[in-house]
Amino acid sequence: MSDKAAITINLPREEVQQRWTSSAPEIDGDVTFKDAPGDRGTEIHVALGSGGGPIDKLRGTVPLAKAKDQLRRFKQQVETGEIPRSEGTPEGESVGRKFKQRPAQPLEESELEKAGVR
Amino acid sequence: MRANVWSGRNTVQVENVPDPKILNDRDAIVKITSTAICGSDLHLYDGYIPTMHKGDILGHEFMGEVVETGRGVSNLSVGDRVVVPFPIACGNCWACQHELYSVCENSNPNWGMAEKAFGHGTAGIFGYSHLTGGYAGGQAEFARVPYADVGPIKIEDDLPDEQVLFLSDIFPTGYMGAEMCDIKGGEVIAVFGAGPVGQFAIASAVMLGAEQVIAIDQYDYRLQMAVNKAGATATINFQEDADIVEQLKEMTGGRGPDAVIDAVGMESWHGHGAIAVMDRVKQAARLESDRGLALRDAILACRPGGIVSVIGVYGGLMDKFPTGAFMNKGLTMRTGQCHVQKYLRPLYEHVKNGDIDPSFVITHRLPLGEASNGYETFKHKQDECVKVVLKP
Repeated sequence: MSDKAAITINLPREEVQQRWTSSAPEIDGDVTFKDAPGDRGTEIHVALGSGGGPIDKLRGTVPLAKAKDQLRRFKQQVETGEIPRSEGTPEGESVGRKFKQRPAQPLEESELEKAGVR
Repeated sequence: MRANVWSGRNTVQVENVPDPKILNDRDAIVKITSTAICGSDLHLYDGYIPTMHKGDILGHEFMGEVVETGRGVSNLSVGDRVVVPFPIACGNCWACQHELYSVCENSNPNWGMAEKAFGHGTAGIFGYSHLTGGYAGGQAEFARVPYADVGPIKIEDDLPDEQVLFLSDIFPTGYMGAEMCDIKGGEVIAVFGAGPVGQFAIASAVMLGAEQVIAIDQYDYRLQMAVNKAGATATINFQEDADIVEQLKEMTGGRGPDAVIDAVGMESWHGHGAIAVMDRVKQAARLESDRGLALRDAILACRPGGIVSVIGVYGGLMDKFPTGAFMNKGLTMRTGQCHVQKYLRPLYEHVKNGDIDPSFVITHRLPLGEASNGYETFKHKQDECVKVVLKP
């Protein structure tokens, strides 16, 4: 079974492809780029080879979910220049955090490094 | 610092928490001078919005002084006085570039969580559950403001906090509710809910040229404010007569209002029939998240071909949506969390010009430490409460 994911980036295709190549998101599958209609930028389509086994699903490490995270993080990085972090999800979008949120209150100094802030 | 945190249904308390830190280059830290309790905070307080966690700092209406900026923030300096819009918006995505800031495609780091509930993610919001990002809120001494180069507006004159604080949410939200009604002059607009957002919807409908504005609520003191301060031309108190639809038709020569604004949302209380009872039971049992009494009546009352403008907050699903009335009458529904960033500057100008003094809704001023009392007073409409402002 093939799993698919897609996202649209608000930039021209050439620029999106260059940024994709230079940042090389960890996605194990076929990636295609397509002009979105009108002023809507560039579509990235990903087709993965496998959907992950039951253990992956329990661990929240299903390849499709991880690929979706990678696509979102790529979009955030190229469109805004950073990966948005909240106090609840300080590492930025990640499937592992969805079920294990921090309370929405500021981080301790000791948590900053682990979250990748510094 | 001290902050007001959610610790379960109907429980908030002011606690000591770590000070906020810059996490990204486009962040700023604001020392809060004024913050408010929003009607939508009551949905969190009452436990009707999913994905709240113990320890979440509440609050999405705040202003203050910039005390630190990240490397990517060049438009703000330490010492600037700013009002912060409640939706967090990147300014770069397609939605932001089309002024649809509350559906920013990047600012919610829990997009995947929201996608499951709504089909798509929506913008991050301060202090408003983890579905909208899990951001710490502004009922606190300090707050971190992401994408600070896009959201906050500098207040460069000496207007007091109370006149500009509500640019953060309820004034633009009410204004957007009225703007969505396509007012060209001569209309009758009905506004369900004379809470703070309803008051600003009424005032904005008047400002935009509506000829008659009918305020609907169950509290006379709020209806009096609607007439005396916001400019409503008529009122309906549904405690006295629950058949709002018939009353609205009668008041409009049988036509129905040209547009109806729902400034109530998911916890509407009017109605005494079987559907109202069913709604309460289902919501209490968590079988239905949204009680839809106001929205149903808005649809039934609106004149054929008219507009239903929804700015009251809903969180999930409601039953018995009147699809027949909605479709056969050819209604248009417009909705949304407010795209505050779009309205900040023009509405700030209205305040500066003296067209409106938004402080008219304030009934209670409390120190932050009394936030818990503020929530109770507001929830139970004690002491003629309309709006509570907290001072850290």
